[in-house]
Amino acid sequence: MKKIINKPANFVDEVMEGIVAAYGDRVRFLNGDRRILLSNTPVREGKVGIVTAGGSGHLPVFLGYVGQGMLDGCAVGNVFASPSAERMANTIRACDRGNGVLCLYGNYGGDNMNFDMACEMVELEDDIQTRTVRVKDDVASAPAAEASRRRGVAGMVYAFKAAGASAAEGRTLNEVAQVAQKALDNIRTMGVALSPCIVPEVGKPTFSIAENEVEIGMGIHGEPGIEVRPMMTADAVVDLMLDKLLADLPLEAGSKVSVMVNGLGATPKEELLIAYRRVHQVLSGKQVQLVMPYVGEFATSMEMAGFSLTLFKLDAELEALLRAPASTPFFTNENI
Amino acid sequence: MLDAKTLRTALQEVSRTMTANRQYLIELDQRNGDGDLGISMDEGFAAASAFLDASAETDLGKLFVGMSKAFNEAAPSSLGTILSLYMMGAARVLKGRETADTAALGEALTAGVAKIMERTGSKPGEKTVLDALDPAARALSEHAAEGASAALQAAAMAARAGSDSTAAMKAVHGRAAYYGDKAIGLVDGGSIAGALLFEALARVANQ
Repeated sequence: MKKIINKPANFVDEVMEGIVAAYGDRVRFLNGDRRILLSNTPVREGKVGIVTAGGSGHLPVFLGYVGQGMLDGCAVGNVFASPSAERMANTIRACDRGNGVLCLYGNYGGDNMNFDMACEMVELEDDIQTRTVRVKDDVASAPAAEASRRRGVAGMVYAFKAAGASAAEGRTLNEVAQVAQKALDNIRTMGVALSPCIVPEVGKPTFSIAENEVEIGMGIHGEPGIEVRPMMTADAVVDLMLDKLLADLPLEAGSKVSVMVNGLGATPKEELLIAYRRVHQVLSGKQVQLVMPYVGEFATSMEMAGFSLTLFKLDAELEALLRAPASTPFFTNENI
Repeated sequence: MLDAKTLRTALQEVSRTMTANRQYLIELDQRNGDGDLGISMDEGFAAASAFLDASAETDLGKLFVGMSKAFNEAAPSSLGTILSLYMMGAARVLKGRETADTAALGEALTAGVAKIMERTGSKPGEKTVLDALDPAARALSEHAAEGASAALQAAAMAARAGSDSTAAMKAVHGRAAYYGDKAIGLVDGGSIAGALLFEALARVANQ
């Protein structure tokens, strides 16, 4: 293992210290707890709080979207591991101004369990109202008939944006939860991986992908994909991904979509743009209008090479929410 | 009659029981899980019991919340969290009460079962701890009029019978589900923990 780290055991805490050192104008710890990040802009009167949580190792997901117009707080776990229910509950408490809190996070067993527990704790002890919306955008993680089992990946960034913008407008908890779910109903993601990632405390790759192969549909913790194929050209791999995505989320001629091409950690932006170019060719050919592209790193998996492709089908409401202003350490609306 | 003192005594016995069965539960779980069942039950109930020993609180609802949080922190596994939710569900019913008769306890534990089902989307018949906890809560309520000892005895028998019945079931949740039909014939480890829990409670009530 060759990484720019000090002690592997200090990995997450030192990342968090770096976040606050670099972006302390926008984010802070809750009472010095390096595993809870809050926006420096306090939840204002009348606004619903929005929180998320998840394991480390995916920056900018999750905590990178804490800030104005997106998330109010985030609880942070160890690499690829859920934070505790107690930390989630503390995050919820810190983000409630009496209007309730939306818990918006990826569909993973540990996170689900701990968030359920955290919601019980704050409802029972603090009378805080909560709603839960789970991100399940990864089409490769389960067939459409079992969509409720799907994992949450890069598409959650769009959901954070839509929910955050609707909360900023002063909508109620139920309305914010509904719009988050509506956004997610129009979001689909699929990824491919070329090389594995290394968890610092493990020290070696937990799986392998052969030099001449690409794993189609791999998850952001290295969960097995749909199939392993001989390495393909950028265009061929994009075509394959688009086929799967469009089968799940049809885009008729005249429809509008925002596309995210997300690097998993070790893929150059050049390659991401080559992929975006192909997406643009194919969708434009179907008379689909592409707006507000996101090309870069949004949800990574340490040093995994590869990328994911997310489609976000927009109507007027969702487009307005996506275009609304936001300022977080890793997300500003430069595409406007 | 359940109050802070009897709850403390009960959890001490449950904790001793889980410690005594730690290795047995680990081995059970290794057949179709990841082997942490014995560890999380032992450490979770030890933490819940330690919380009660140290607490001067008399509100049963608050005591159940505290047990739940202590349990969850010590045993953040899937089953650990499920049992924490169980205690949270029960806490809602017991909130504001310093004593609970057997009927109230039955109602609280029924609410605990409902909370697990609501939060996890699982139900009895799917080879989980619910196959012990659900029949136990029902038996407790049905036999409440016969007194705590008889009702908990009935609950313990129902929990054990429910656990035994998981052998014929196919798992649909958690790691055990990956084993599919291969796990048919094996009793679910979580349901055995549920049976051990009610057997311990019955022993305390009998004393």
